[in-house]
Amino acid sequence: MATLEVDRLHKSYGDIKALDDCSFDVHSGEVFGFVGSNGAGKTTAMRIMLGVLAADSGEVRWNRKRLDLETRRHVGYMPEERGLYPKMKVGEQLTYLARIHGMSTPDAVAAVEHWTDRLGVGTRRGDHVQKLSLGNQQRVQLAAALIHNPTILVLDEPFSGLDPVAVEVMSQVLRERADEGVPVVFSSHQLDLVERICDRVGIIRSGRMEAVGTVDELRVTDRPQWRLEYGGDAPALREWIKTLPGVKLLPSKGKPGILLLEFRDARPGSEQEILKGALAKGPVHEFSPVRPSLVDLFRGIVSSENGEAA
Amino acid sequence: MSTARTIWLVFTREFKARMMTKANVISMAIMLTLIAGGAITASYFINQESGPPTARIALDSATWELSPFLVSSAKQNGWELDLTPQTEDEARSILAGEVPGSVPLDAFVGGTFASPVVVVADPDDWIIQGIITGAIQNKAFNEAILSLGGDPDAISQALADAQPTIESPGISDEEKYGPEYGVSMVGLMLLLFVLITGGNMIAMGVVEEKTSRVVEILLATIKPTRLLAGKILGVGAYGLFQVATLGGAMVTALVTLGLTKDIEVNVGGTLALIILWFLLGYTVFALLFGAFASLVSRYEDIGAVTTPMTFLVLIPFYTALFLVPEQPDSGLVRILSQVPFLSPFMMTIRNALGTVPWWEMTLAVVITLATIPGLIWLAARLYQRGVLHTGGRLKVSEALKRTK
Repeated sequence: MATLEVDRLHKSYGDIKALDDCSFDVHSGEVFGFVGSNGAGKTTAMRIMLGVLAADSGEVRWNRKRLDLETRRHVGYMPEERGLYPKMKVGEQLTYLARIHGMSTPDAVAAVEHWTDRLGVGTRRGDHVQKLSLGNQQRVQLAAALIHNPTILVLDEPFSGLDPVAVEVMSQVLRERADEGVPVVFSSHQLDLVERICDRVGIIRSGRMEAVGTVDELRVTDRPQWRLEYGGDAPALREWIKTLPGVKLLPSKGKPGILLLEFRDARPGSEQEILKGALAKGPVHEFSPVRPSLVDLFRGIVSSENGEAA
Repeated sequence: MSTARTIWLVFTREFKARMMTKANVISMAIMLTLIAGGAITASYFINQESGPPTARIALDSATWELSPFLVSSAKQNGWELDLTPQTEDEARSILAGEVPGSVPLDAFVGGTFASPVVVVADPDDWIIQGIITGAIQNKAFNEAILSLGGDPDAISQALADAQPTIESPGISDEEKYGPEYGVSMVGLMLLLFVLITGGNMIAMGVVEEKTSRVVEILLATIKPTRLLAGKILGVGAYGLFQVATLGGAMVTALVTLGLTKDIEVNVGGTLALIILWFLLGYTVFALLFGAFASLVSRYEDIGAVTTPMTFLVLIPFYTALFLVPEQPDSGLVRILSQVPFLSPFMMTIRNALGTVPWWEMTLAVVITLATIPGLIWLAARLYQRGVLHTGGRLKVSEALKRTK
């Protein structure tokens, strides 16, 4: 299976380390979400992948071969800031971009029709790009990334500024491309969306990949949390739990009967003992593992690291 | 994809992007209309004023005998006279503008043959007054000769023949500034026009790609050198198109008006050299315009690049314009005309003014050609670094600094 490998990238701007040993892989047919705070190094990494920026060290490979200009011609790229000639007509512009990616004129024209219709801007082919609304410009921008039927897709913030309908179309398109064997890398701050669409996620902080994997893999932790909804004397139960080793009570919101537990030693089955103990003391309405969302994971990584740094 | 195809694609886009704008179509239409209008207006005046200027002078019966003197005096001044007999009262009222529909008069000569009185339409028209005064003086001169027993005609002839032959060891201005000089000057003006407008268009184009960030998509696909080359060629072709269209329209107008009849000189060799230096000059300066424009990110900052560049164009232009005709063969001029940015201007004028030794011309062409790869390297380096740089102006030294 062909893989896009980002291997130990380093890039500094003066004293600022934009990328510090940044590595990750994206397999063909996979949608990879690239997540990180502002200035974490997402855009720099993507620019290096596209060769518009040179890395200080490290390399990007496709199919075990270093990504060169010839291979890059088959990459579909969407830069973070919209990048189109404002005073050129949508159709002409997309045809031009398709042709510099090596397409023949008839193929380019056909691809322009296909993608502008698909992305809902078919009626605007004769308009100058600057006349379009920001959202429609974004659609044209995506069309520009897809127009030459790329074998790799690298999209920087493709969802920003889109309405829910366009977000749906865009997610579908990304999934379709991935199903055809294209590795799709995109960055986004809309973490719920990333969680929903992506097969795997990479969280970058200060130029380093802090976590890479499926969302479920990232959820695996040595401090699992459980939520317990108790119908009996809650203060008494709390006192009992406090005496148990390896379990910590976290502050919880809502009714006094709701308890949030964190297991420190992660001994398998330890949650069962708590459940038995609680049931012995009174009714338990609910006892379930807390599945951290990508937002929680992201916040955890960013805040814990920040805490260390401070 | 081949280099040529990539450059060709960029070239056609750049050319079309400039040709197809409303502003271009309108300004070209206005320019062509102005040239056509100018030609029509000029032809009207040229046809009107064909032949020597004419004045209309009235005489009464007492002064009619002055006629031959007036005609010959006018002839000496290059004028023709339309003489008409009139009474003093009639003439005065016509001169005062009191007779509507009458043919206007320039002057009336009344009084007596011995002591004439002149009434003029325009007291400041010294030519008419000069012609009449000359005629009266000639009459007095003739009478004096006759009273001394001489022959006025023979004396006039003798005076007319008494002309020295004037020679000069130097070359006359007419010879020095012949048609080749004129054609070369027009060539230089056009070069200046194309350099300044084209240079600005290149700079605007580079900054447009930067501000719109489209350059990021482009550079992910094509090499910066090819993008810059296509841009320079596209804008250059557009500049040449403008020059050819407007220049062609002007030449057509001049030929139609018959103003080129007297210019029958073979300017073939000169023209070839003008075109050669035009292309070399454009390449050298366009590379610099493109490279330096990539250092700024906003339209507001573009002046920081185009103003010094405009000086870089104007200084060689004026140096050539004033220094070369002054001292065409001095050592200074010969040395300066080998300097790459000066040679396109200096060699064009030097060639027009006289013979530049073939080896000097060849050397200058070779030197300029040799600097082009260096400039391409510099331009590509600045462009590649600068074009993705956003924010404030990038310093040249920073752009040139090698990163690992």
